[in-house]
Order: sequence, then structure tokens, then C-alpha cells
Amino acid sequence: MSRGPREGVRPAFRQWRAGRPFWGGLLLTLGGVEVLLTLKASLDVILHVGMQGLAGYLLPVVMLLCGVLILFNPAQRLFYSVIGVLASLGTWLTSNLGGFFVGLLLGMVGSCLAFGWLPDQEPRVGRRQRRREARAAQAVTQRLEHKTGQTA
Amino acid sequence: MTSAEHTPERPDGATAPDAKDAPARRGRVRARRAAVMAVPATLAAAGLAILTAEGALGVQFAISGMPFTVTATELNGTGFAQFGGLDEMAEGSPNAGDTGGQVLVVTSVIKNATLSKLCQSVDLGGTNLIIRAGEGAQKVSASDLTTDSTELTGDAAFNNIEIGNDASTLNKAGPKGRGPKGVFSQQSDTVHIGNLRQTNYATTAGVFKLPGLKLGFSGSGC
Repeated sequence: MSRGPREGVRPAFRQWRAGRPFWGGLLLTLGGVEVLLTLKASLDVILHVGMQGLAGYLLPVVMLLCGVLILFNPAQRLFYSVIGVLASLGTWLTSNLGGFFVGLLLGMVGSCLAFGWLPDQEPRVGRRQRRREARAAQAVTQRLEHKTGQTA
Repeated sequence: MTSAEHTPERPDGATAPDAKDAPARRGRVRARRAAVMAVPATLAAAGLAILTAEGALGVQFAISGMPFTVTATELNGTGFAQFGGLDEMAEGSPNAGDTGGQVLVVTSVIKNATLSKLCQSVDLGGTNLIIRAGEGAQKVSASDLTTDSTELTGDAAFNNIEIGNDASTLNKAGPKGRGPKGVFSQQSDTVHIGNLRQTNYATTAGVFKLPGLKLGFSGSGC
């Protein structure tokens, strides 16, 4: 995982991604876009229908904004992800069953990823390595216990 | 929180975070933290889906602008009004719909309607989204059901029908079942349509209760 600094766009993008819940924000944004795309009612009609129709547009727009804000203001990600998940759930009622379920799913997964994201984590340890370390630690403690048991 | 946080030593043996291993430290999704939100959110979504399928919760559709087909083996309704529309609808008929163009539509308003074996399909280009409901004992019900159709076929029976009213004087389907002045219309106390098939265009909104909801994609429509 530890690579030296390289020139180019991709490492820079990687660096940018590392500092924010990238997939969470992206999925939430895409979810909002998908729900909006399924709404084919013209604005004229929406204004005619009134509040109910407006909510159908409002919630996916809130989803989209939350997703974009998660990407560009990751410090506030908890608040945005909570609002995002609530808006996503709301689209089930207001916007064609949450953009025929797809947008709802994207929004929920995205919000959860953003909620669970933490900055500045240790490099990922492989499962095998973790198991090996655990086994080594267990062996050490067992040996210690054995030793203390003998001395007592 | 999780095991990685308690990992005592780093693979490279460095103890203080310095510039050298800065690229290795990056933000990460902690599964347990994500689950704190994922579990309640999934439960809530499942709850919404169940409530909708049981018919306890109305769902709003606003797929206007896409023509879609609705079929039902039987439609029963009380408070029926029907009138033609071109491009201007009366003020104060919020659900009557506005096709936004020069499309001739027939607006049907049913104050309380129940439908058996409802099938609604939308052509999404290549594939069809099909919504089926009310195939069991519980029927689909809707209030203030307003559809703007370009085509409607079926075997119809009306009670106390009045044909030729001015659309603005209609009174049997409530305030939503009123059209513009000077337009031909008809209304009746009850309506029964068997083998209903509608091609709807620009239906703005309708609150349905959909027991036994099934939603899926299919190559062919209803």
C-alpha cells in the first residue's frame, strides 16, 4: 500500500479521495440524480399539483446536495449522511417508489458509507496477516500464563 | 473500535506519523460504524415496503410525460366524472393535470375506486417497468384517482349517468372532478369497467394503496 509520491493526475486524485468519504458521497449523489431522472413531470404540472408534487422533486435534490456536500465538505459528513438517508427513505413515498428502488438503494448505501467513514486510518491489514498476528499474540499470552502458573 | 485500531505496531515499524508514511494513512469506512446507520435504515426501508404492500401507506407517482399502460380486470368506483381537455385545465383542479402541449386527453376522475389485478407498465426504452398489485383477495384502492388517457377500452356500466354537462358544473366526483367551462363532460354516481385497458399520458399524481405489490422489469408490457 505504501507507495512513494508520483507525478500525475491519478495519484493526486487518489490523495483527494483519501481525505473524504468518496464512494459514499458519489453513490448518494448518483441516487439523487437517478430519482430525478425518473421524474418526468414538467415543472408546470408540479406547480399545479402543489406541495405533494414539489416534495417529489425536493427530496432527490436534497439527496444530491448532501452527496455533493459530503464530497466537498467532509467535515460535516455525519449531518449530511443522516439527512441523506432520511431523504432517500422519503423518496419511496414521494418519488415513484424511490426512483423505482434504484435511487433509494444507492442513496441508502451511499449515506451508510459516508456515516461509517473515518479519516486518517491505519493502512489496511490483510486478513491473513491479522490472523497470524492474533495467533502470535495468543501464543505469547499462553506462554506467559504457563510461566506464571509454574512460579505460583 | 475494531481490531485495526488496536494493532500495536505498524508494518513498517514507524511510531510517529510523519510525512514519509502520510500516503499510507487514508480515510476508511469502518464497517461497524456504517452498520450503526445501515441496520436502522434497512429496517425502515423494509417497513415502508411492507406497509405499502399491505396497503396501509399511499405512494405517490409522478411519472408524467411518459406514456404508460394500465390494465385491470375490474374497476369499481363511486363518483365518476369524465371530460376532455386540450391544453388548458381549469384553475383549482390541481390533480386534473396539464399535458403541457397540444395533446388531446380524456380526464377521468373517480372519487373512490377499487381495482382488481392492477397492472401498470412504463416503457423505459428497451425494458418495461411493471407494477402489479391487487392480485389476491385485497383490491387496489385509490381516492381522487385522476387519469389523463389517450385511449381507454373496456366494458363499462354506469349508474345515474348524466351526459353532456358543462365540465365546470360537475359535482359527483368532488372538487377535483371539475373541468373547464364550456367543455363536454359526463358524470355518474357509480362506474364499473371490466377488462379495463388505458393508455395514460401525463398523469400527474394519484395516491394508491397497493396490496400485494410486485415490482419488476420485463421485456413486454401489460
